[in-house]
Amino acid sequence: MKKNWFLAIASVLLIGVSAPSTASAQITHTIANTSQPSVIRVAIRSLNPSGEGDPRGRIIWVQSVPFDQYCKDVLPNEWVPAWNFASLQAGAMAVKMFAWYHHLHPITIDGFTFDVDNTVNFQAFRYLSGQPETNAAFASIRKYAYVKPGGEIIELNYRAGYQDDPNWQYRNAQKMAQWGSQYWAQKGRSYVQILQFYYIDRTLTQIRS
Amino acid sequence: MGRHRSFSSVAAFALSVLVLGSLPNVDVNRLTKWIPVGTTLPFRSNVSTSNHSMDAIAVTAQASESAKRPSSPTPPAAAEQPAPGSAQAPGPAQGPAPSPAPAPQGLNPNSLWQTAKLRVRVIDGRSQQPLQGAEVVILETEQRVTTGRDGYTQWVDAPVFRNPRLRPLVAEIHGQLGVIAYKNGYRDSIHMGIRMHEGTQSETTVWMYKIGPGDDRIEPVLYEVPYHHLWLVELADRFRSKTQPGEGPERP
Repeated sequence: MKKNWFLAIASVLLIGVSAPSTASAQITHTIANTSQPSVIRVAIRSLNPSGEGDPRGRIIWVQSVPFDQYCKDVLPNEWVPAWNFASLQAGAMAVKMFAWYHHLHPITIDGFTFDVDNTVNFQAFRYLSGQPETNAAFASIRKYAYVKPGGEIIELNYRAGYQDDPNWQYRNAQKMAQWGSQYWAQKGRSYVQILQFYYIDRTLTQIRS
Repeated sequence: MGRHRSFSSVAAFALSVLVLGSLPNVDVNRLTKWIPVGTTLPFRSNVSTSNHSMDAIAVTAQASESAKRPSSPTPPAAAEQPAPGSAQAPGPAQGPAPSPAPAPQGLNPNSLWQTAKLRVRVIDGRSQQPLQGAEVVILETEQRVTTGRDGYTQWVDAPVFRNPRLRPLVAEIHGQLGVIAYKNGYRDSIHMGIRMHEGTQSETTVWMYKIGPGDDRIEPVLYEVPYHHLWLVELADRFRSKTQPGEGPERP
């Protein structure tokens, strides 16, 4: 009787060990095995009573938006269209890589599955709000990605930062400051130099067509 | 006591001389473009702006702004270059412009507001197809333009108006304009808060909704473009106190 119990426990343990864990089954998304998304799912949250996008508002619906258009409709709401072109290019790259990463890691809330929402929980998105300057900045970086040296697609985070300030990195926080990007662009830095200043151990790669 | 008072007056005078002497150089051109003609400035000398007294006002205003806020409002770099067809009045340091550009209708040609290019796209709110022949009126200047086959109006020179109420407090990073779109068979559509930047082309999309047979109460549709959230962050930080910091300053 004792022997049977022992066999039963041993077999259960063996099955548990041999079953593939979900964590190890996750694929590392790299620029080599992933193509740029064509569509992104944007959760539209309800507005607050004054008509502003409410980060804690309930999700009303999920809108499928062409990926390029999403980036173009985010950039003028996160960066300022009158800023230097290099700042807009750095912003366009951050907006794109942020969206790309979250497209690969969708979430489900209240029964809605989506990649990003339209508020500052993710990136401020206003449908059909693209501007000529920001559209041009996005077009100029469209063929490129800013990834880890191995090609892994990671999220490029950013924050507001402070005006007229270099916004130095805090303990390798890997967050670009929006005002900081404009500061460095005014100092004559290119968008790649701005990205290199804020994101460590990343590389600019051409996207496979 | 009298000696103390006279001593403190002398000290205060010396301090004010030192403070005034340490003020940065005045960039008159940069400042004057933000002040509308006819505005009464709440500064040391209560002077009404006019084209004749811009020197004095610019200096006074700059000094007062610098004293209030060390990091005074900085317009975007593109603002330094006036837009083509700009209606900006020449600054005192530049001298009179040889041929001032024509100002949009309804604007004072001597106004200090800069202009920027704006075009409006009008679409059907349901089908999202472009609407041809819609009439778009810019509220602030009464300019009227009509949409073409692609739903776009032509590019127009529109002013970049920043709210003077907020100017001494926090520099708004964009101006705002309003438009109304009219088209037969559609509800009027009012769009407020269109973001405008000096020297930068701006576009906006206006949605219009067809009047249906069951529509009894037909009124305009309002759409408001929110302030840019970077400016809201700056505004909230500007007045944050140490005793009630709320969410606190941004952490990097």
